[in-house]
Amino acid sequence: MLMSPVCVIAKKEIQDSLRNRWVLFISLIFLILSLSVTFAGSAVAGHLSLPELNALISSLSTISVFIIPLAAMLASYDAFVGEDESGTLLLLLSYPISRTQILMGKLVGHSLIMSATISFAFGVTLVLLLLLGDNYQPQLLLVQFGQFIFSSILLAIAFILLGYIVSLKSSEKAKAVASVLLVWFMFVLIYDLLLLTILVADLSFFNQYIINALIALNPTDLYRAINLIGMETGNGSLALFASSAWGLSALYGIMLLWLVILVVITGQMFKRRSL
Amino acid sequence: MSASIAVSASNIRHHYADFQALDDISFAVERGQTMALLGHNGAGKSTLIKILLGLIKPSEGRVNVLGKDLSSLRNRADLKMGYLPENVSFYDKLTGKEILNYFAALKGIGKVRVEQLLQEFGLEYAQDRTLKTYSKGMKQRLGFAQAILSRPELLLLDEPTVGLDPVASKFLYSKIDELKQQGCGVIVCTHELSLIENNIDMALILAKGKALAAGSLSDLRAASGLKTRLTSPQLLEAIALQPQLTSMLCDDALLLDKQQKSAVVKLLTNQCQLFDFSLKEPALAEIYHFYMGQCAQVVEVS
Repeated sequence: MLMSPVCVIAKKEIQDSLRNRWVLFISLIFLILSLSVTFAGSAVAGHLSLPELNALISSLSTISVFIIPLAAMLASYDAFVGEDESGTLLLLLSYPISRTQILMGKLVGHSLIMSATISFAFGVTLVLLLLLGDNYQPQLLLVQFGQFIFSSILLAIAFILLGYIVSLKSSEKAKAVASVLLVWFMFVLIYDLLLLTILVADLSFFNQYIINALIALNPTDLYRAINLIGMETGNGSLALFASSAWGLSALYGIMLLWLVILVVITGQMFKRRSL
Repeated sequence: MSASIAVSASNIRHHYADFQALDDISFAVERGQTMALLGHNGAGKSTLIKILLGLIKPSEGRVNVLGKDLSSLRNRADLKMGYLPENVSFYDKLTGKEILNYFAALKGIGKVRVEQLLQEFGLEYAQDRTLKTYSKGMKQRLGFAQAILSRPELLLLDEPTVGLDPVASKFLYSKIDELKQQGCGVIVCTHELSLIENNIDMALILAKGKALAAGSLSDLRAASGLKTRLTSPQLLEAIALQPQLTSMLCDDALLLDKQQKSAVVKLLTNQCQLFDFSLKEPALAEIYHFYMGQCAQVVEVS
C-alpha cells in the first residue's frame, strides 16, 4: 500500500530517533524528573508525603517549562541544516514531493516522538498516583494530568517549530546548536524572569491588558498560565499567572495560534531557503 | 523537439544577485548518450544540475527534459529522473535496506524493486547493517541504487566515483553503460577525467559560467587543434633518414595534426621500415587543460 510522503518522512524521523536512542533518553529524563517531583518533592520540607494535586501540577509545570522546550529544540534543530550538510535535503527536493510535505512530515514525526515521551513519563506518574495516592479524586487527577500532558505536548510542538526556524536560518549544525541554546535562554529564562519582575514590581503603567499580552507573547508563559489558572498557588509569583484574566479556552486558542503562525513562518522560510 | 532527446538546454543564463553563474549555455543529450559535465570549482556545474532537476528556475533560457518543458511542468512525478548528489551522506543510523525503502516509498516504488537493486549492486549481504558500517564504495553503490530506483530515463550523477577504488569505479561505469543501452540519457559531473574518458559520448566544458567547448571527444580534439603524439624507440633513426620530420619533433615524439597523421605514418612504414611506433590521441585531460588555459589567458588579457 502506498503511503503519503508526509507519513513516509514522519516514519523515517521516528525510526531515526528510536535508533539513536533519543526517545529512550528523553523518556527516562522526563520520567525521573516527574517521579522525583511527585514522590520526593516533599523531602525538602523535611518529610515524605504526596503533595496536593494543585501543588503537584504547579511543581511539574515549573520543571517541565525548562526541560520540554530544550528537549524539543534538540530533537528538531538539525532537521534542515543537518540534511543540508549531508546532501540529503537537495536529494529530497529533487524527488516529486513538495517542501510543505517535507516540513509536515518532519513536524508530524518529531511531534509524535515528543508526545510519546511526554505521555509515557507523566502517564506512568499518573498511573502510580492512581494506585498509591489515596487522597486524590481519580476523576480530578485524570482531568488535571490530561490537561498537563496535552499542554506539554503543545509546548513541545511550539519549540519543535522554533527549532526548525533555527535550523532553516543556520548554515552549519554547530551554529544551530548555539542558536538553539540562545533561543531557549531568551524564551525560557530571560523573558520569563523579566515578566515575573514586572508582575511582582506591580508597576502602575503596566495594567492587566499589557500583562496578558506579555503572557500571550511567549509559549512558555502561556503554558504556565494554562496549568496554573484558577489554582490556589499561595502568594508567590506563580499566583500572578494563576490570576491571569485569560480564560482556559482563550489560553489554548492563543497557544494554537502560536503553532499556526510558527508553521506559516517555517513554511515560508523553507520555501525561501537557497539551495 | 525530437523524441530521442533526453535533455536539452537553450541559451541558459542564471545569476545570483549580481553574480552571473551561467551565461548562454546550450546543449542536448540524446537518450542512450552520456555527457560529461566538466569545469573548475565554481564554474556553474552545480547550478546547471539544479536547473535540470527543476530546483531552480533559470533567469533566462529554456530547458526541456524528456520531452517536457520544465518551465510549464506541473508535476515532477511525470519525469523519470534519477539523481545522485555529490558527497551525499545518507542516514547513518538506518540500514541500507531502510534507506532504499525510504526513498522508494517517496517515489511510490514497491519493496520488490528495492530487493532487486540490493541484489544487483551486491549489497544484499549488508542490507540489515546500519550505514555507518558501510565502506565508501558500498555507500556510493547504495546512492547509485537510489538514483535508479524509478528506472530513470535521465540520470544526473554528481561526482559518482570520487574517492572510489578502480574496481568500484569500473563497476559504476559498467552500470552506467547498462542504463545507456536501455536508452537512458546520462549526465556525469566529474573531475576524474581519465576515468570518464572512455565512458562518454560527449562533453561540455564550463568555465566561469560560460561554455568553453561542447561535443564528442573527436570534435573537441579537432576544435582544440591539439596534436597526436607519435613515439617510437627508433624515432631518431627515422628522422635521420627523413630530415623533413624534424620540424614535427617535440621532446621525444612527433606531434602530428589530423592532415599530417596518415602521410607521416605512410612515410615511416614505407620509407623507413618503422613499424614499432605508437600513436596517442590527445586525452580528455589535455583537452580540458587546453581550454582552461585559453580561458585563463582571456581573463588575463581582459
